[in-house]
Formats: sequence, structure tokens, C-alpha cells
Amino acid sequence: MKPAAFEYHRPESVDEVIELLESYDDAELLAGNQSLGIVMANRLATPEHLIDLSGVDSLSGITVSESAVEIAAMTTHRTIERSERLKEMLPILPEAAGQIAGPAVRNRGTIGGSIGEADPAGNYPTALAALGGTLQLRSAAEARSVPIEDYFIAYMFTDLRENEIIEAVSIPREPYPIHRTGMVFVGLKRAAQTWPTVSAAGIVRVDDPSKTNPIIEIARVALANAADTPLRIPEAEAVLEGGPLSVAKLDEITNIVSDSVTPESEMHADSEFKSEVAGEYAMRAIQSAYDRATDQGKE
Amino acid sequence: MLEFSGENEMEQSREQLWPYFTDPDVLAECAPGCKEMILESPHKLTAVLAVGVGSVKPEFEVDAVVTSLEYPEKLELAATGQDPRNEFEMTATMEMIEADEQSTVVKWSAKANVSGTIVSLGSRALKSVTKRLVNKYFSDMQAQIEAAEGAESKLQAAPEDETNLDIHIG
Repeated sequence: MKPAAFEYHRPESVDEVIELLESYDDAELLAGNQSLGIVMANRLATPEHLIDLSGVDSLSGITVSESAVEIAAMTTHRTIERSERLKEMLPILPEAAGQIAGPAVRNRGTIGGSIGEADPAGNYPTALAALGGTLQLRSAAEARSVPIEDYFIAYMFTDLRENEIIEAVSIPREPYPIHRTGMVFVGLKRAAQTWPTVSAAGIVRVDDPSKTNPIIEIARVALANAADTPLRIPEAEAVLEGGPLSVAKLDEITNIVSDSVTPESEMHADSEFKSEVAGEYAMRAIQSAYDRATDQGKE
Repeated sequence: MLEFSGENEMEQSREQLWPYFTDPDVLAECAPGCKEMILESPHKLTAVLAVGVGSVKPEFEVDAVVTSLEYPEKLELAATGQDPRNEFEMTATMEMIEADEQSTVVKWSAKANVSGTIVSLGSRALKSVTKRLVNKYFSDMQAQIEAAEGAESKLQAAPEDETNLDIHIG
């Protein structure tokens, strides 16, 4: 099918974007066009105005400061996947980006688009839920910062208001010192370029990787497509923090995660299977994250 | 068919809550995505509700009839909604159960048939978003009640020959 008729706008600044949003009632923002175009072609969405963000230069790029990494909304998956600085500082993001669909999608799709769409199966929402951080949102009325954990509300339902735009996501660097932190993003996919059945993000920071049994100072466990929003599992994190990793603890978090998730059944994977996969993949993510965190001490 | 249900505990008596849950002006404030709500008669409401999932944003013209009303215990509604590409019909029941003198458990349930483009989102999307909208409805309602601006019960049950919206759910 072809989309219903719409008027196309291509502003060059965020101010212009906001002006357009304010002027037109039925307008939709277009980021990398890897989802909206399909929804429009099926006439599920029929916005009268389309505001293409690709001409707004200030919305793309990665900025690193002493305290934070800021990724502007229109930064593509490809850029994130290949960013040497991100690979060094927040490697879970390139890893999550590299697992999104195929190269064609990664060349066009953007982190802001993914956060805006808020599909609970999305990679970034879950990686960001694990990392923590803040979204920078802007409307005519105000610029505001919303912590990631407050942003995702339900399936494709977020705290983003009418006529508001996602400008960037900012992740603090302080909790993740490079040489004693490990980060992993793993997902189960039934085919290479599809959405994952379930994915898991694991982050581990240890006290001293050169020790025989490094103590876990910080653990983060988050799941994608295991609930109607990206889901962090604080109970599993609490089990891990404060001691070294052990087989018993890995078993324990596998069970905690499987019991904590509330996935909906899908055609190819029922709820019970997805719960089991969630536990298994969370366990694998934590185990590899711990290995990565501690390996660095041995080099 | 989609079925939804839930309950919310509120810190007021049934008699205090009742006017708020049966005042169309309060309902219009709290109903998710409500653009307008008109009390056509004591048992008939029309409304425009814009409820979306992601970029799918139908705007429903809703007709609702109060099919049963028992002060201060129970309210039943039947409703139909139309959008150019979507349609729903539903029945909803709200029961107020006395928890103790100063608090009430509001139990609600709804059955709906939904057809049109929004169905392609799947029941997991509709359930998730409905749950969120209902929670928001109750928290907005709570805020209205706490603001204590007062409310006036304006709804009555429809006479039997007017309850029929021709709804067949199942």
C-alpha cells in the first residue's frame, strides 16, 4: 500500500521543528524512517504532516565530556556501532547497536527513533535502562531532563509529551571506570535480521580485577521484550553486589529473572519459553560482563 | 474479544467517591485522551477520545449508555466507538466495595471487541496501554477527589428500552 497523503517538512534547527509541531495538530516526527514509513504505508498511521529531522545537524553526534557521554537523537546505529570512544567507554551501546536488524537498517535508523518508538523489544531502551542516564527533551514550553527509568511507561507508551522532541540521551561515565567494568548485550533471535525474542543487558563493575576473586561493586541486569517496558531486575542486582561471582549466584539470578519477567506470548515463543530465555540470557550477560571486567586486570 | 480488569484502593468512603465517578465533568477531566464529553441525557454520554499506541492514533467518537446504576455500589456502561479506520464496542462494570469506613476498593472490569487498524498492534500492545490508561484514570480521579472541588452525580440508569446499543461481545 501507499501512505495517505501528507505534507513533508524538512526543518534545519530544533527551534524550527518545535515551531512546526506547534503549528500543526496532526504532525509526526520522522527520524531514520525504519518504522514509521511502514506503519504509514499500511495506513495504520496517517499523519497529515511529516517533520523530517534529518536536516537538523545539531541532532546528531556523540559528545564526550569528563562526566558524561551524550548521544544526540539522530545519531545512527551504524555510527554508534563503530564509535571507538563508545567501544572504550560504554561498550554495551555499540554492542546493542550492532545487533539491530541488518546493515541497511543500521545505516538509517537512529537512537532517538528507537527511544521514541519505545518498543519493549528494542535494544537501546534496555541497554540504557541498564546504564541509567537521562533523556534531554524539548518543547516550546521547556527543556527538561527525564531519567530513563521514568520515561518508558507501557508498550510504545512514554513520558514524551505532545509537541515534544527527544534531543539527546546522556549517560554518566563515573559509575563505569573503563578498566574494571564489563558490559554485555545478548539477544536470542530466530533469524538474523528480525526483532529478538528476548535480549539481556548485563553490566558488572568490580573492585579490583587483579584480585583472585574480585568483588562486584555494581551489577545491572535489564531485559528486552520480557515485559511491556524495558525491565531492570533490582533483586538480581542485589544478589550480585557485594561479593565475587559464583555458580550459585548465577543460578540464583537465573531464577529471579525468570520469575520477575512478565512477557506476553507471541506466535513463535510463548510466555513460559520467553521467561526461561530471559533468565538464561541474563545469566549469560552477567557472566560475560564479569569476565570482561576481570579480564582487563590480567592483561 | 479483549478482557480487562483490575482494582484500585481509594482512601474515601463510597458515598464520598460516588459523585466523582458519576459526574461527567470530572469524567471528562480524567478519561484518557478525552477531547470532549457531553451529557446528552442522564443516561447517555457522547465523547471524543483520542487514544493512541505509538504513531497509531485513532480518535474515537464514543456513544455510551448507563445500563445499570446502584448507588453507591455499582455502575455499568455500554459503549461504542467509531474512528474512520477503527471501531470498538464494550461493556464495563465498576463496583465499589467498602474496605472499611474510610476506604473503598474500586473494582472494574471491561470486555471489548476492537476492530480496525489498531488490532494489528496485537493484544499485548492494547492490554499494556489500557492498563496504563486505567491507572492514569484512577490517579487523576484521586487527584480530583483530593483537590475536593466537589462533584455532582448526574448519571442515571437508562430505562430498559433504551439500554440497547446493539452490542454483541463474545
